[in-house]
Amino acid sequence: MTTFAPESPGVAFAGADAAAGGLRVWRGLRSGWRTRASMIVLALFAAAALWGEIVYRLAQARDRTPSYAQLNLDARYLPPSLFRHPFAAAAGAEADAPQVGARLYAGLRELARHPFGTDNLGRDVGQRLIQGARIAFQVGVMTALIAIPLGLLLGLLAGYFGGWVDDVVVWLYSTVAAIPGLLFILAIALVVGKGLTGVYLGIGLTTWVGLCRLIRGETLKQREQTYVQAARAMGLGHARILFRHILPNVFHLVIITISLRFPAAVSTEVFLSFLGIGVQGEPSWGVMLGNARLRLWQGMWWELTFVTIAIFAVVLAFNLLGDALRDALDPRAASKSEG
Amino acid sequence: MGYYLLRRCLQMLPVLFGVVLITFVLFHVVGGSPAVMALGKNATPAALEEFDETRGFNRPLLWGSWTSTRAWTDWDARRGSDRSGAWEGTTGSRLDAAGAVLFSPGVGVVPLACPLRANTDYRWRLDVRQPSGGGTLAVTAEGGAPSTAAVPVPTRWTRLVLPLAAGAGRADGLRITVTGGGPLEIRAARLERRMAHPWDSQLAHYLGQVARLDFGVSLATNERVADMLKQGIGPSLMLTAPIFFGGLIVSIALALICAWRRDSWFDRLTVVIAVVLMSVNYLVWIVAGQYVLAYHAGWFPIWGFDSWRCLLLPVSIGLVSGLGANLRFYRTVMLEEINRDYVRTALAKGLGTPAVLIRHVLRNALIPIITSTVIAIPFLYTGSLLLESFFGIPGLGGLSINAINSADVDVIRGVVLVGAVLYMAANLLTDLCYAWADPRIRLR
Repeated sequence: MTTFAPESPGVAFAGADAAAGGLRVWRGLRSGWRTRASMIVLALFAAAALWGEIVYRLAQARDRTPSYAQLNLDARYLPPSLFRHPFAAAAGAEADAPQVGARLYAGLRELARHPFGTDNLGRDVGQRLIQGARIAFQVGVMTALIAIPLGLLLGLLAGYFGGWVDDVVVWLYSTVAAIPGLLFILAIALVVGKGLTGVYLGIGLTTWVGLCRLIRGETLKQREQTYVQAARAMGLGHARILFRHILPNVFHLVIITISLRFPAAVSTEVFLSFLGIGVQGEPSWGVMLGNARLRLWQGMWWELTFVTIAIFAVVLAFNLLGDALRDALDPRAASKSEG
Repeated sequence: MGYYLLRRCLQMLPVLFGVVLITFVLFHVVGGSPAVMALGKNATPAALEEFDETRGFNRPLLWGSWTSTRAWTDWDARRGSDRSGAWEGTTGSRLDAAGAVLFSPGVGVVPLACPLRANTDYRWRLDVRQPSGGGTLAVTAEGGAPSTAAVPVPTRWTRLVLPLAAGAGRADGLRITVTGGGPLEIRAARLERRMAHPWDSQLAHYLGQVARLDFGVSLATNERVADMLKQGIGPSLMLTAPIFFGGLIVSIALALICAWRRDSWFDRLTVVIAVVLMSVNYLVWIVAGQYVLAYHAGWFPIWGFDSWRCLLLPVSIGLVSGLGANLRFYRTVMLEEINRDYVRTALAKGLGTPAVLIRHVLRNALIPIITSTVIAIPFLYTGSLLLESFFGIPGLGGLSINAINSADVDVIRGVVLVGAVLYMAANLLTDLCYAWADPRIRLR
């Protein structure tokens, strides 16, 4: 993948001046149009999640049914407004100027009413999509908050101390890796109980293995570097060497892993919610997908389409950004993929 | 070589033990009472006890000398347990408004749901008090030996542990003798049975089962899990093997072409399509495929497992959805090889393109391909959870989903255990394949 070519691919990022390195990476990331586009998509995604959170909190604070959950039996199965021919009246009218203006206004109002259509209970699909973004964002962040510290800490300890610590960590992650992943997640989610907490823990507690392996391998290498020996010779403590000296040099792996794990977690949440184990009573993308699937046979194509597009856009953006990040942060991998 | 194999197999043992432990603890918590699930809510306590005894469910979880018994339902007023159920038919007692059970001085008899076992020690843990003070309490199993001397009852809530000595006969009630003082109050009661051996636990029972390769019996269908696994493996393989091998061949072939014609329109287009394919959700593939191709266009059967035609759609969905990631990975691998000097040399000495690509490039790219391929083999066995449940294929994936939904513990454990063993075997196989693909690698 050559979405981004580092300005000086020969210079290793590790050990370089961190601030300058970060700036270079940032500049490099902004240069490709694909990366830029994916950043815009992700910013929109985060904004939608934030907006959804505000709507959700406000409804909770006022103790009202939030607008995305309001049933409206008069407006069931409304297609997206563009497909309802909102300007049919305005276009078909004779040249009567003030009336055309009024009709145009009515058409615009119609266009703004349920722009993404409504579902089988008359709930607004657009608002539910935004709530889905909120939940997807939460799942991505929360699972990362569980899995990343776990994998990072265990990997650092195993790689740095070796010996029995290493044995225990390797045993732990081999065991988790050997259990079929989806079944493991399902089981943890069932143990914790239906709901988002189960999803967080299920995904978080099973996906730290990859990062742990990477960090352990990298720490094993870093441990032998001269800067670590120097730090040790100066009499620094283990904790200080690990977290102040080794951690910054393996941290690029964390960033790459987050960019890969986030979309995976979103997809897994979709799957769990679809199965009825995940989110309860709130419109996550998985719940919407399950609902849309049942209504597809009645000709309600728009909910499935929009959910698909939303998931697709977020995952694609993360994939592209992940590629760019890998090329920028891991010069070794970048030079590999450039042949 | 033999030594290497032996050492690797020994290294697998701790991991295997870890898997067994995790599946045991995790899925133990998932399931409710297996006996109630298997026999129904109206089964007699004696039947439930019998079921628990044969399947080992009435033992302590990990270890312990005392275990619960179905002769008496654990009762705790503070947790809102139902007192009318637990104390039904008890003579000499009355209920008070605060939730406790009162015994006046005299003799009361508490009936048991099923008789106590002969020659087994029990103990009764009671939270009692006697506000007036000065009284004593003695408990005896009906028909058993008179066990305890009368114990003085304190005025504050206290937990008394009253041993019930083993009798030769079958006791079906507990006789409570209260002497002196005012009424005696009980707010919690728990009857426990002494295990002959503290390590005779459910874990030990389970480990024994696993060691005998006995995966137990399904709670939902009462079939042997081993048989269910055997029946499920065929359909699962029919679905996953074509996906696996088809995907392997297609993605490697495309990756070779992409690497060969690097930066051509074909390469660029393929890379873009691969990223796009990767980003479409798996569920969407299935839902849309089933609706558009099977229902609307009518090209494929929508559901079922009658003929090979039923497999066409799920196989193609599996192929397409996995293609993107594989293709990208293999392309990177091939790109790394294709610019090497030996490729130039081979071309320079006049070898044809196919010969160079297949005999030289592919051969040298084998190591990463093996790593990603062999480790995927266990997933052939677990099948595809989603594809199978959506298309009604009676394989292990659909089986696992059903088992998870109905908390059929033994079935899930069986699938997970066999899957884990296969995963470890695949790991070993990967290393053996390394040595075969690259003679420079020595197994030590």
